[in-house]
Amino acid sequence: MAKYIIRRLLSLIPTMFIIITLSFFLIRVAPGGPFSGEKGLPEQVQQNLLKKYHMDEPLFRQYLRYFGDVLIGNFGPSLRYKESSVNELIAQGFPNSIILGTVALALATFAGICVGILSALKQNRWQDYSAMSLAVIGISVPLFVIGPVLQLVFAMNLKWLPVSGWIFSRAGLKTLILPALTLAFPYFAYIARLSRASILEVLRSDYVRTARSKGLSEGIVIRRHVLKGALLPIVSYLGPAFAGIITGSIVVESIFFIPGIGKIFVQSALNRDYPLIMGEVIVYSLFLVTMNFLVDVLYGFLDPRIAYK
Amino acid sequence: MSLERNQVINEFNQQVKPVSLWADAWKRLRRNKMALIGLWIVAVFAVLTLMAPMLPIYSNTEQEMKHINLPPSFKNAGQVALETLQRKANQINAMIANEGRDDLKPELEKVMAEYELIKAEINVNPVHKRVYLMGTDYLGRDMLSRTIYGGRISMLIGFIGTITAVFIGIIIGAIAGYIGGRLDDFLMRFVDIMYGLPYMLVVIILMAMFRKEGQSSVIILFVAIAMVSWLTIARVVRGQIISLKNAEFVEAARSMGASSARIIFRHLLPNTLGVIIVFSTLSLPGFIMSESFLSFLGLGVSAPDASWGTLVSEGVQSMELFPWRLLVPACVMTIFLFAMNFLGDGLRDALDPQSKNRA
Repeated sequence: MAKYIIRRLLSLIPTMFIIITLSFFLIRVAPGGPFSGEKGLPEQVQQNLLKKYHMDEPLFRQYLRYFGDVLIGNFGPSLRYKESSVNELIAQGFPNSIILGTVALALATFAGICVGILSALKQNRWQDYSAMSLAVIGISVPLFVIGPVLQLVFAMNLKWLPVSGWIFSRAGLKTLILPALTLAFPYFAYIARLSRASILEVLRSDYVRTARSKGLSEGIVIRRHVLKGALLPIVSYLGPAFAGIITGSIVVESIFFIPGIGKIFVQSALNRDYPLIMGEVIVYSLFLVTMNFLVDVLYGFLDPRIAYK
Repeated sequence: MSLERNQVINEFNQQVKPVSLWADAWKRLRRNKMALIGLWIVAVFAVLTLMAPMLPIYSNTEQEMKHINLPPSFKNAGQVALETLQRKANQINAMIANEGRDDLKPELEKVMAEYELIKAEINVNPVHKRVYLMGTDYLGRDMLSRTIYGGRISMLIGFIGTITAVFIGIIIGAIAGYIGGRLDDFLMRFVDIMYGLPYMLVVIILMAMFRKEGQSSVIILFVAIAMVSWLTIARVVRGQIISLKNAEFVEAARSMGASSARIIFRHLLPNTLGVIIVFSTLSLPGFIMSESFLSFLGLGVSAPDASWGTLVSEGVQSMELFPWRLLVPACVMTIFLFAMNFLGDGLRDALDPQSKNRA
């Protein structure tokens, strides 16, 4: 097991290397530069600006320079937000994005598993049908439709919750409810369907029949035997769910005006703010591959049948 | 004794018609009501969008400045416009009377002037005889027509994206699965790494950097989405081919001198067709969602083209005052995605009854 974890950890290095290299060159081959958008900037000033940020050097040298900086954790200055460095911008936004993402994922997993259990135990009854219809809605309706519709109904018409804002404002934690619900809904739906299907499969298995024939109460059978086996597919779905939540948060943050890093991501790409895009991509990817790694390790602990060679 | 029994079995076998996989699947699909409804809805959408230029709808690009932001109605446009202006005038009047907002008086005069203008020509100008079933947008364009044409673009992107993904995925998956060995290791390692990439971020960067203002960016969108979408199908096809390539019928074909290409395309791939069809139906809504996601961020299809995503994002900006501009495209898009998902689920149950990864 320890050997597997180490090997798996080491495999993160080439992945991150490829991500950094690929995105660095992808961003640089695109037409246009960070200063070409500013009209009326004299040629000489543009040249000097490029020089200041070492962007007049050959591309490969810039790459080496950037790579060295990243290794010591320095993402460089932002080209657009001139008063702050990329590290500062990310340090400001990242906690907010993390709060939103974690709350949404926790909500999706918990509610999803609960609804999945309910559906499976009441298979083909009205509880099952209504829960699964809700799940199909969650899978079919895009985030950017759910978000505004929730805003329209609960914030603008019923006035129960604030339209936008963030938890540090006066409205406090109330501002978290709508964005977290929006972001959680599709993953809630998927986890509910997944857990229903896998619980139904486990319920038919031999070891559950054995547990029941031993005379265990239904509650214990479900908690000790069924859930343990049925949770595995959900754990392996958590990896893709993390990726989805990261991209989803870009939209949710801009719908609800949340000061996270998703909101500035699109803008930084449009502005050709090279260091900022790179910094965001690296932070997102690092987060994602770490989460995938944790999921894999967790999976190994939960499923003793997996032999790590 | 045993000879006699064999004869009986033979006779029995001749009476029973063989049922092909497809006939069997069709029979199962027909029993699934939700999937059938889904199939019908998808068919209706396909016909409507394909025949859009022939339908008796108003232009989706022509702007009618006298009909801005009209609500959905069965009445003539002139009538609706008059009512809308009347309501607006009443609101302004109330504000002037109650809150003493005298600064709104020029606004009121403008509204009344427009009211008189439309009233004067309501029976003369044929434009006012139009009926906007789904209302109009901020440039006086028919929402119904815009939604249908938006569906054309969204569905086209979904369709082309799926075909490209399936095409690349089949080729890579088949090669990796059939040849195996080092090549397989290399290809699958590559797929693993690509899986680790936050691919939507890459697409966002691609779209933000390579699109040019005022130029339709549909092609870049295709490339961006297709580049990262073949991974799953490649894995699925590879798995299927590995499990089949040592089967007796493949050995038989090989012993008769069939080439590798012939074995792959004539014997192995047809056996994976069910999985591929299911995957395609389930990924098409995914592509439509990705496209509209980008369009919502302002990175997808650009004007004059409009997809469902563009329409929704335009609608969001004014949803408080003109909710139909959000709700019409959002509902239509949701119904289509709904139908596709039900159809995909039904197809999976029909083509792959023992499927382990149902969800």
